[in-house]
Amino acid sequence: MRIRSIITLVLAVLLSLVAAVHRWGDSSHAIGLMSLNGGKARHPSFLESGWDRYAQITTARVLPPYRGDVRVVLEGDPPLDYDIRFSKPVVDLGLRRLPDFRDDILYGIQPGDRLALWVLMRSFPTDPVCGMSVREGDLSHPYQGKIFFFCGDGCLASFRAEPGRYKDKDSPRGKYNLAFYDTRSGKSVLKVPLIFKGKEDSHASGGHH
Amino acid sequence: MHRADITKPAFPGSRRYWIMALAMVLFLPPLSFLFQFTGDSNFCGTWCPRMFFVWRKGATMDAYFMGYMRSYMGAILVFGILLTTFFFGRYWCSHLCPIGGTMEMGSRLVPRFLKINYAKIPAPAFRYGYLSVYFGAAALGLGSLCCSYCNFATIPRIFGAPFSGADLAYFLRTAGLINLGLVLLLGIFAKGGRAYCNLLCPIGAMDGLANRAGARWGRRVSVHPAKCNGCGDCVDGCPAWAIDLTDKTARIDALSCMPCGYCETACARGAIGYGKSLLPISAPRGKAVYEKG
Ligand code: SF4
Ligand code: SF4
Ligand code: SF4
Ligand SMILES: [Zn+2]
Repeated sequence: MRIRSIITLVLAVLLSLVAAVHRWGDSSHAIGLMSLNGGKARHPSFLESGWDRYAQITTARVLPPYRGDVRVVLEGDPPLDYDIRFSKPVVDLGLRRLPDFRDDILYGIQPGDRLALWVLMRSFPTDPVCGMSVREGDLSHPYQGKIFFFCGDGCLASFRAEPGRYKDKDSPRGKYNLAFYDTRSGKSVLKVPLIFKGKEDSHASGGHH
Repeated sequence: MHRADITKPAFPGSRRYWIMALAMVLFLPPLSFLFQFTGDSNFCGTWCPRMFFVWRKGATMDAYFMGYMRSYMGAILVFGILLTTFFFGRYWCSHLCPIGGTMEMGSRLVPRFLKINYAKIPAPAFRYGYLSVYFGAAALGLGSLCCSYCNFATIPRIFGAPFSGADLAYFLRTAGLINLGLVLLLGIFAKGGRAYCNLLCPIGAMDGLANRAGARWGRRVSVHPAKCNGCGDCVDGCPAWAIDLTDKTARIDALSCMPCGYCETACARGAIGYGKSLLPISAPRGKAVYEKG
């Protein structure tokens, strides 16, 4: 009994440690403050390049005196296919006024509001050599069970010569922003950086939450 | 009251199930009634009961207490739970918690042959190993278990997902699917429905400590050693695997027991009761008196 408990304890510690240290690179969470002077994200969101889809959660508090309507945009290159969802009660009992979310615009934001947005992202196919956005149906080439698309023969030839060098580069890399703009003034009230990293450099990154 | 003449009811603790169902309606989507007073729709945010008390490496005292402010309802909830547990036992877990409640109610809908029995696992050892990493990994800056694996995030979103795109989005990611898997495997498909509570819930783990700490002064479910004949009828159905038979006497582990009352009804000899009792651990065998409270 004693021994079984000790083994269980050690196992629980190890399993929990692995779970605590490992991050699943297809989602991340950022916290921000929305304000008239451009707002502030507490830390960037790190996502790991190479997944089919990604999810990002942004929670933000609105600092007084800001109030207004806010357009939410995911900015970055190459553009991603994305879908923003606003978290609010399914049955709104009207106990507290909440902003309305339609067509990527938050209507009626008031000081003190707390917002939670889910951004689902999917990358368009990208030419792994030059990084250009391409369409399915463009020049393609299968490699290791995956289909790659190219802007032209030049890039395809480069890929064929060194597939190992390019095979992970058809997904988003680098910095994107989830940007919030006041619709009246056009001024930014919050920018949350979303950083896509390659598998090799994403493990050491922070952004735990 | 003598329980010798009570036969096992077909639906033990049915009043408890009604209370659990009511708590689920009040807390969970689509109604999310209690959350709406603070402008929230689930536990995440003002009501988060899992994050505020965890100290993270590098956090200043100010930043630490900001966490309490941010989740003030969660803080009130957790301190309320621990305090009432100290005096009355873990009623939050057995009767009120909509998270544990969903898993236990769900497991009743699963046919018996599909249920997994985890009772062989020494639950306190696992639970407190997990809890030490829950605090330790954050304090050492190694990572965090708070949000990434969270029963309080997952279950409300299971109820919300059919209605809300934001709740559904929770599951369209690896961490969300793992959380769903844990709730299914350790909750809905677990015998008794409480393996998640017993192994992986930090609130339950801290609550177990409060239950143990107050066992001498507060009211608890306990076994009257003189009346117990060691038949073991109470052991199998305990959802918290809290009952042990040693020396032909049942013993209830205060680290695990939530006063669901199952054992009370299962014992044909009326040897188990809830009340202010001198637990056998502190009283000499046979001298333990318990008055039904
Ligand atoms: S152990 Fe956790 S999930 Fe289970 S009933 Fe208690 S608080 Fe709820
Ligand atoms: S407490 Fe009751 S049911 Fe449990 S072993 Fe003793 S006599 Fe049997
Ligand atoms: S010891 Fe009894 S009251 Fe406690 S959890 Fe087990 S069956 Fe329920
Ligand atoms: Zn190209």
